[in-house]
Amino acid sequence: MRVVVADDSVLLREGLVRLLSEAGFTVTGQAGDPDTLLRSVRTERPDVAIIDIRMPPTYTTEGLEAALAIRAEDPNIGVLVLSQHIETHYAMQLVASGATGVGYLLKDRVADIAEFIDAIRRVGSGRSVIDPLVVSKLVERPREQSPLVTLSQRERDVLSLIAEGRSNHAICERLFLSPKTVEAHVRNIFSKLGIEEATDDNRRVLSVLAYLRA
Amino acid sequence: MIRRPQALVLLLGIAVASAAAVGALTTTNARPAPGATALHVAAGLSFIGVGVVVWSREPANRTGLLTAAVGLAWFVTDVRYLPSSVAFTVADLVGAPLAYAVLAHLAVAFPSGRLRSRSERAVVVIAYGWLILENLAQDVFWAPADSRCDCVRNLIVVHRDAHLHGIVGNVQQAINVVLAFVVLRIVLDHWSKATPPGRRALAPVFWASGPILLAVIALQAVGAFGSLKGLDAALAYLTPLALMSLPFGFLAGFVHSRLSHLAVGHLVIELGGAPPRGRLRDTLARALGDPSLMVAYWMPDFRAYVDTDGRRVDLPTEQNQRAATFIERAGEPVAALLHDPSLKNDPWLIDAVAAAAGLALENERLHADISAQLKEVRASRARIVEASDAERRRLERDLHDGAQQRLVSLSLALRLAGDQLGNAPEPLVRETLNAAADQLRLAIAELRELASGIHPAILTEAGLGPALQSVAERAPLPVALTVPTDRLPRPVEAAAYFVVCEAVANICKHADAHSATVSARRLDGRLLVEVADDGVGGADPSHGSGLRGLADRVAALNGRIDVVSPPGQGTRIVVTIPCG
Repeated sequence: MRVVVADDSVLLREGLVRLLSEAGFTVTGQAGDPDTLLRSVRTERPDVAIIDIRMPPTYTTEGLEAALAIRAEDPNIGVLVLSQHIETHYAMQLVASGATGVGYLLKDRVADIAEFIDAIRRVGSGRSVIDPLVVSKLVERPREQSPLVTLSQRERDVLSLIAEGRSNHAICERLFLSPKTVEAHVRNIFSKLGIEEATDDNRRVLSVLAYLRA
Repeated sequence: MIRRPQALVLLLGIAVASAAAVGALTTTNARPAPGATALHVAAGLSFIGVGVVVWSREPANRTGLLTAAVGLAWFVTDVRYLPSSVAFTVADLVGAPLAYAVLAHLAVAFPSGRLRSRSERAVVVIAYGWLILENLAQDVFWAPADSRCDCVRNLIVVHRDAHLHGIVGNVQQAINVVLAFVVLRIVLDHWSKATPPGRRALAPVFWASGPILLAVIALQAVGAFGSLKGLDAALAYLTPLALMSLPFGFLAGFVHSRLSHLAVGHLVIELGGAPPRGRLRDTLARALGDPSLMVAYWMPDFRAYVDTDGRRVDLPTEQNQRAATFIERAGEPVAALLHDPSLKNDPWLIDAVAAAAGLALENERLHADISAQLKEVRASRARIVEASDAERRRLERDLHDGAQQRLVSLSLALRLAGDQLGNAPEPLVRETLNAAADQLRLAIAELRELASGIHPAILTEAGLGPALQSVAERAPLPVALTVPTDRLPRPVEAAAYFVVCEAVANICKHADAHSATVSARRLDGRLLVEVADDGVGGADPSHGSGLRGLADRVAALNGRIDVVSPPGQGTRIVVTIPCG
């Protein structure tokens, strides 16, 4: 899988490149600012662009804007945005940009090498990845008179994994459940929450996140 | 009131007038009609009388002296009644023209008595020079033919030639008319540029200029074309009448201005009734008859003049057509009246108004002083808050771009090191490395919380709405949220954000509430933020420094915080901040 890495910190960028190379990725480009990133993406057409949200010149949300620009130019290129702060606002902006092949992860996740590499692969294969912290913040948020309180603990776990962008198959593996059980849970969850069940996993992420955020 | 020089001029004028009257009535030489003589004397005397009165009232203003001088010059022509050839020659040479030259000077210099420009000075000098010398050219060709005695004669006649005398005379008359129009042009120019109070002052010359111009043209026409059906006889009556319109108009204006002085009496009464603050200017403007009046107050701390709102006021310069009168009390400047320059022509009025208003102005000055200081304090408070926000943003950014990045790199390096050990025979080392990486992750998370508490990046990046959304998502109780979608000025967003954070934290700590609502919306140029809960209420806003510190922050933006917290009925905090 071919990736481009964009981060203005040279130290971190080089660490990432080493990690990715060792994990079998081909790093086709590196960038320290949005312009270099966009140029690199246009020429290399990687499977995934891994982008730090804060980049020059203002060190605010240049990375996010670059990611959205890449999505607009070529929806087949996956974008994985890394951020020091986790904000559902930005996660929603990304997911709403087209829902296939987007990821939003807390930057510290890079140290969970196996998880991180899994996330890149999922984004590269057109799935969505939402940081578990974003999801847990939303799921565990106190609510008044919400159908969410009627969910069982297991159903909540399944809901969280759906929101993180996992497929039913991945949920089976995570929770050691049979596919049939997971399917039953998913159906129950959607009917309890009153959301129409989307056939496509990525639409499912969007509708669940929107529901949780409302 | 009449001082010595003025008295002398008056006596001299009366003497000269009497002599002229006697001369005209007793002359054997082309005796004028008694009625014409009476008007002639009245015209000269009216200039002298009005001139002396004005001069004694305003000795610094040359207008009075010039007016009197017109009257005196008017009688120079009458020395021709003296049985002397020298007197006759002088009278013919400078007599009538001198009065018109001084009249032109008066008209151009009116009402300040000063000539306003180099070109005006040039016109006056030319008028004097020309009118005194014009007869010289004519008189060298002329000897009085109608002398009934040979006792007087023209002393400077060189060549007796009636034809040449006539031609030179015609040229002269044409130039006289041109000169009269030049003076008229200047008067009209002054009039068109004058402000309403300025026009009041200019009125006598403006209104008299028409009749006088007509008289001058008629006189020149008679000189050029002869008697013209008795016009010359009529002019002996009409010319003095036309000229008299000036002093009488002047007198009327003077009486009017005396009447306006009565307004000072009303002013004293009004000020005694202590006019409401801020209305002093209107009261003074009325007394001075100058609606454009501005009052500026002296601020000793700033060494500058400010208006009632504490804004700096620029004092008049030559260019901006204003004049200033400075008011002092006990040697200290108190205020300046910025008024129409024409009021300087009546210094008594402006001085009287200034004296009457001194105490009220001092009072108003103190108010203006306090307003100015308050403004300064407010501005500095806003600057302090803004500076502290900037410092918070800088700190957050430093933590983010420095420490956090390094720690993430470090944790990545530790993990990579652990992986590189692979299944090497040192499981303990690997475990230690992993434990270190876990510790590091906690440290990163703590640092993230710290940085976010100092100044949340999302507030700067995405604004109040997403930032409050984030607060609501983190809150340990349900928070219903309504937020604006547009951006607001940065200090307003920061103040609203920190108030909501503090209020939500207080609800969690003290309110024992089930849920809360946070709403922020724009209303009439203000941001209205409400945080309400369904808890125990009874919160005392004077306790606890958190909200008090934030009240200062909000006040720095001219906003306010209200806390309503009846026991048992929840707490409602309402923040209003002007946001343009």
